[in-house]
Amino acid sequence: MEIADLSYHRPATLAEACRLAGRLGAGVRFLAGGTELLVDLKSKRDAAEHLVSLRDVPELRGIRDEDDGLHIGAMASLAEVAESSAVARRFPALGEAILTMGGAQIRNQATIGGNFCRAVSCADTPPLCLAAGARLRLAGGEGERILPAEEFFVGPRLTVLQPGEVLVEIHLPPLPAATGASYQRFSLRGGMAVAVAAVAALIRLDGERIGAARVVLGAVAPVPLIARACTGILADEPPAAGLFARAGRAAAAEAQPITDIRGSEAYRRELVEILTVRALETATARARGERT
Amino acid sequence: MSGRILVSLKVNGREHDLAVKPNTTLLHAIRDELGLTGTKCGCESGDCGACTVLLDGRAVNSCLILAVDAAGAEITTIEGLASGAELHPLQKAFIKYGALQCGYCTPGQLMAARALLERNPNPSREEIHAALSGNLCRCGTYPRIEQAIQNWRSAADQALDARPRPDDEQDQQRDLQVVGHGVTRYDAPDKVTGRARYTGDIRLPDMLHGKILGSRVAHGIIRRIDTARARELPGVLAVITGRDVPDTWYGVSPARYDEQILAKERVRYVGDEVAAVAAVDEETAERALQLIEVEYEELPAVFDPEEAMQPDAPLVHPEHPRFARNVNTKVEWHFGDVARGFAEADCIREQRFVGNRSYQAPLEPHAAIARWEHHGGRLTVWSSAQTPHYMQHMLARVFELPMGSIRMIRPPVGGGFGAKCETTPLEFCAVILARMTGRPVMMKYSRQEMFYHFRGRHKQYIDMKVGVKKDGTLTAVQSRILLDGGAYTSFGVITAYYAGSMLPTLYKIPNYKYDGYRIYTNLPASGAMRGHGVPQPRFAMESLLDMLAEDLGLDPIEIRLRNAMEPNTRTINDLDVSSCEFKATLERARRESGWTEKRGRLAPGKGIGVGCGGFVSGAGYPIYRSDFPHSNAVIRVHEDGLAVSLFIATAEIGQGCDTVLPQIAAEELGIPYERVWLAECDSVLAPIDLGSYASRVTLMAGNAVKMAAAEVKSQLLKIAARQLGCDPHGLTARDGRIFIAEHPQLGMGWDEVARLAFSRSGPVVGTGYYQPPPGLGGTYKGATVGTSPAYSFATSVCEVAVDLQTGYVTVERFHDFSDAGTVINPVTFHGQVEGGIIMGLGETLLEDVRHDRRGVLLNPDLHGYLIPTICDTPAIHSRAVDSYEPHGPFGAKEIGEGCLPPILGAIANAIYDACGVRATELPITAESILRGLKARRERGGGPTGRGSTT
Repeated sequence: MEIADLSYHRPATLAEACRLAGRLGAGVRFLAGGTELLVDLKSKRDAAEHLVSLRDVPELRGIRDEDDGLHIGAMASLAEVAESSAVARRFPALGEAILTMGGAQIRNQATIGGNFCRAVSCADTPPLCLAAGARLRLAGGEGERILPAEEFFVGPRLTVLQPGEVLVEIHLPPLPAATGASYQRFSLRGGMAVAVAAVAALIRLDGERIGAARVVLGAVAPVPLIARACTGILADEPPAAGLFARAGRAAAAEAQPITDIRGSEAYRRELVEILTVRALETATARARGERT
Repeated sequence: MSGRILVSLKVNGREHDLAVKPNTTLLHAIRDELGLTGTKCGCESGDCGACTVLLDGRAVNSCLILAVDAAGAEITTIEGLASGAELHPLQKAFIKYGALQCGYCTPGQLMAARALLERNPNPSREEIHAALSGNLCRCGTYPRIEQAIQNWRSAADQALDARPRPDDEQDQQRDLQVVGHGVTRYDAPDKVTGRARYTGDIRLPDMLHGKILGSRVAHGIIRRIDTARARELPGVLAVITGRDVPDTWYGVSPARYDEQILAKERVRYVGDEVAAVAAVDEETAERALQLIEVEYEELPAVFDPEEAMQPDAPLVHPEHPRFARNVNTKVEWHFGDVARGFAEADCIREQRFVGNRSYQAPLEPHAAIARWEHHGGRLTVWSSAQTPHYMQHMLARVFELPMGSIRMIRPPVGGGFGAKCETTPLEFCAVILARMTGRPVMMKYSRQEMFYHFRGRHKQYIDMKVGVKKDGTLTAVQSRILLDGGAYTSFGVITAYYAGSMLPTLYKIPNYKYDGYRIYTNLPASGAMRGHGVPQPRFAMESLLDMLAEDLGLDPIEIRLRNAMEPNTRTINDLDVSSCEFKATLERARRESGWTEKRGRLAPGKGIGVGCGGFVSGAGYPIYRSDFPHSNAVIRVHEDGLAVSLFIATAEIGQGCDTVLPQIAAEELGIPYERVWLAECDSVLAPIDLGSYASRVTLMAGNAVKMAAAEVKSQLLKIAARQLGCDPHGLTARDGRIFIAEHPQLGMGWDEVARLAFSRSGPVVGTGYYQPPPGLGGTYKGATVGTSPAYSFATSVCEVAVDLQTGYVTVERFHDFSDAGTVINPVTFHGQVEGGIIMGLGETLLEDVRHDRRGVLLNPDLHGYLIPTICDTPAIHSRAVDSYEPHGPFGAKEIGEGCLPPILGAIANAIYDACGVRATELPITAESILRGLKARRERGGGPTGRGSTT
């Protein structure tokens, strides 16, 4: 479990980080919290000749609460996000989702940016962020670009990031009034276990009807999957058990799960159905202002 | 840029300037560069938390941080928790509440707890769970850790007090001063401060590090090994292959020595050891392994015992013609007449049960060091061994050395549960590499290599049939079991016998037939795991009893009571049960668990179930033929009479023997516990003890210690009698005084008498030994396995909540009642019960080592192989019933293993009560329960199991 020899760099600015990474070429990896990267380097699932540590890059730090929403720096640790009062105010479901992840050590070390950029299919922060219409700001040698979070993921452990490009921040626009969110996940043990299936739901109520809904599935597809058929069923309907059951079945049908040691494809579909109903119920209750 | 980088690390308030390689983790920098070995290495991948340190006040896994990346941060390790000699209140609380067993996870637990309390001095149960879920404890000390954290401040108010504390739960009234009291664990202060040095923490001058290369094919012939490139790597000092190791076959059971240190020709499972390297550091050794080229002729492999028994199946050991059809061990027992028994039965149930490959997963990976001494052919071996003597014996045998020329040292062991009972290629290769290089060599398994070396639970395929009369009385039990042995025998002969021999110890079975077949497959070898061979057949039997009780309309506890073993009984298979309060455990369970009020009355999805079990208190016979007593002890009184030293070579693996044995010594001697020093476990100091397996230590080593103490006492009483002018028989030694029993005011200080004795004739020494009663067991083949001087009994009542939509099981509560004889130390006793329940819970619901079609393991890590966390811990009410075992020291017998077998059946029966799904395969996954629920719905069954069968 030794990491192969590599060089280590610790730039002090974003521009320097991008420049360095561009110059070092294909064998470079950005080091954020390291909780996934180091495991991958030890197990030889990934290889790196150079590490560029983002620890000292000020542009990637902090959580800002602004008029246009939350700006979460990519290097914010999961614990920092979960404990942030701004997050608790603006998007409490995200903090809840994070508390289901890893143990305290992992939450202290791992960053939200790393959770996006390592792009494992069971990552817990992307589904809610996608549901909330997050936008990602990327910076590289060619300058900056902003893209919707749903366009970021290409496949398992694959993103649109170009060599030398860094995820700078996750921007969550303010949630409209009468909106509620929920993240429901299933794992095999009481703590420290990855999601076998997960569902993020966002519901905006328009009076007695669902004005807008978004359901994103985690751990059951190569990338966080926007459940479009499921969402289509919900729009403009009054929230009701039968509706949610139909939405759950639709989500289960559009999931693309695999069979592995944690569960079969069929079981994951069943979980998606159940978790979708639970997420929709909770999100709706929250949209109504009920405490859940 | 890949050379060393100068960094300044601030650790425990001190700046250290280090030149580290960029790929060095903080864990290795702390341990290897700074020598702070209190921070432990358990998995190297962030799954266990043993390496937890504080980084700017936050708990982090130091295995997942590069040392260079930690520069500039404030780092606190376990060594920085106490301020000088004054322990941190949390450390005191851990000691007070017995919140540690093997101690390997303890530094990590303490650091995680410290980080929590810094932010939240009054955490709730949920907050403690959230903060500590990343710290695994395989001993299952979670309930005590939680208690210590909740009460950390009140522990701080009190001075550290090692005086005996009467335990509030003590059921037993004995006139004893030290035994029966929850005295502070002897090993606790070292384990909460990081001072305890486990084998992997030892640093010897000039020490090299070795690594072993495992086969990448499951079955094959080695056609070529080229080690040239590995030898040329700078820093490599020796490389060995099968050619360099003795031809001697070794193993555990003399009748089945089938292992070689490194494969000579054939490899039999993925991971089978083929070559080893010694280098200046682990990184170089690991790199050298990658440079060894091995060419295999791959052969067909077999991974399923039923397939392995087919006539055309590949043979795992073709060199040994006796293992035809891959049958490693065959047991065919028939006691009474089962045909008649079943004919007499009113109700019969027959069912197939399939077990799992669960693994001990001790938090400390196995480690060994070998050093050849400069005085002629002497060898010192350190090993994290449960059975140091068997290792010494096997090393002597394989290397053709006199046993006396080998010095075995057993440092603290970070959990064993049966995984560290046998000599491994680590010890053997370390000895060979140390001889070749002239330097000490340390060898360690990585977490992954632990899973490949395995020696975990045999997966059993059990066909069991049970017949009863209308009133529930058993008429016959028949079981046929296939045990998946993996590639080598290990303890498997004994496992195959135990799987049959222990079943009739719990219930009176008038007719019993057992056919056991242990089958070789091309998988890692199965071995002896806590409860050795017993838990899976017990799971089958306890499930069948519930099924029969339902058929007959009987209460599950009632059917057990009607068949329960009674004291002074010879079982159908010739085992002699002496003390037995099994019925008391059942009756108290019924009374105190709320059984009657809850059974059949809980909300849908909630259920209650019962399971029973027990174990031997030590095996009646040793593993290799020997007339030596099984346990031996020496006690020496110090010159001033205010201390004694106890020399005994047992293995503290977390179970508490380093505390219990000094308690027994102190009680018998009549002195306070704090006056006993325990010498290191070192064969130069202490005579042989067979080690910590088969739950033998309390009874066997306890008896040896008691005898040694009695011998010392008798010498002192004679001298005191002369001084006091009375008969020695009229004297009592108690609490540091020797006095006339009838006139307690007439006496002398124990120390005064001891000084007199020393002054008169030099050292006062007592010796003791324990040999099981001769002739235990019957005369049939295999009759020795299952014999014991005493048996433990236990009843566990479990409450679960099943999520009827996902199948997820939450174990909410356990009420556990044990007959373990006299409880020597209630803190370590209940710690073992709690740990057994938590381990049993993992085995029942979570754990299974899986492999692919080529024999490659799919989850050889603590990320894919899930063991219980603090969040999975139920509320546990553990009680000891009043019991006295005449063969045990002060009436004691075992607790460490007998507490586990009841758990599987109790959970399975509770799940059935909750949702009507009768689980017959382990582990009982949420997915399998959901499948069962669906099948029930399709058949039109209701939401719960009551009153209906599946």
